[in-house]
Amino acid sequence: MTTTISKTIDIIVAPDGQARVETRGFVGSACRDSSRFIEQALGCMTGEQLTAEFYQTAATEQQVRQVRQQE
Amino acid sequence: MFVVSYLNGGTVSHIVSIQTEIRDPVAIHAACDRLRLPEPVFGKAKLFTTSATGWAVRLPEWRYPVVCDVNTANIAYDNFGGRWGKQQELDRFLQGYAVERAKIVARNQGHSVIEQPLPNGAIKLTISVGGAA
Repeated sequence: MTTTISKTIDIIVAPDGQARVETRGFVGSACRDSSRFIEQALGCMTGEQLTAEFYQTAATEQQVRQVRQQE
Repeated sequence: MFVVSYLNGGTVSHIVSIQTEIRDPVAIHAACDRLRLPEPVFGKAKLFTTSATGWAVRLPEWRYPVVCDVNTANIAYDNFGGRWGKQQELDRFLQGYAVERAKIVARNQGHSVIEQPLPNGAIKLTISVGGAA
């Protein structure tokens, strides 16, 4: 069985034009790669925050790789 | 054998804050169209005692235009501390530019985009990665 959750990038543009980009549904560092094009297109990055889910999914990705290697 | 591709149930994993820079003439045009502003004009524009070269945008009730140099991302204007034009109008243009710029690049990458106004005046774009344009 394969479970796939949709991957989205949310961009919230404040009334003063400043933007916040949030990634959802990505595994590990893939979120950074997937949203980079939007970040570069909009302007200059002023801050970055990695949530607990980033590290959780990164660990999950590693576990899945290990299982696949053992098969 | 069960393989779980993704265990992250749509929760946020990565947040980036961005200072918007105006570097795309196509998005400048789209922002003006969106806000029903006069079409931007490229050239040298007068700003009271000085002048600037770039894309001149006419904001509502502003005495002088806002001039966007897309090579440096510099925005030149003189609103005399708000007496010759409200800051909110410039902010509204910056917001419109950011929204249109994000939609353009997302669609160029083949992604679908949904736009949604938020109660606080912000605008939310949801890009479905891998979706149809």
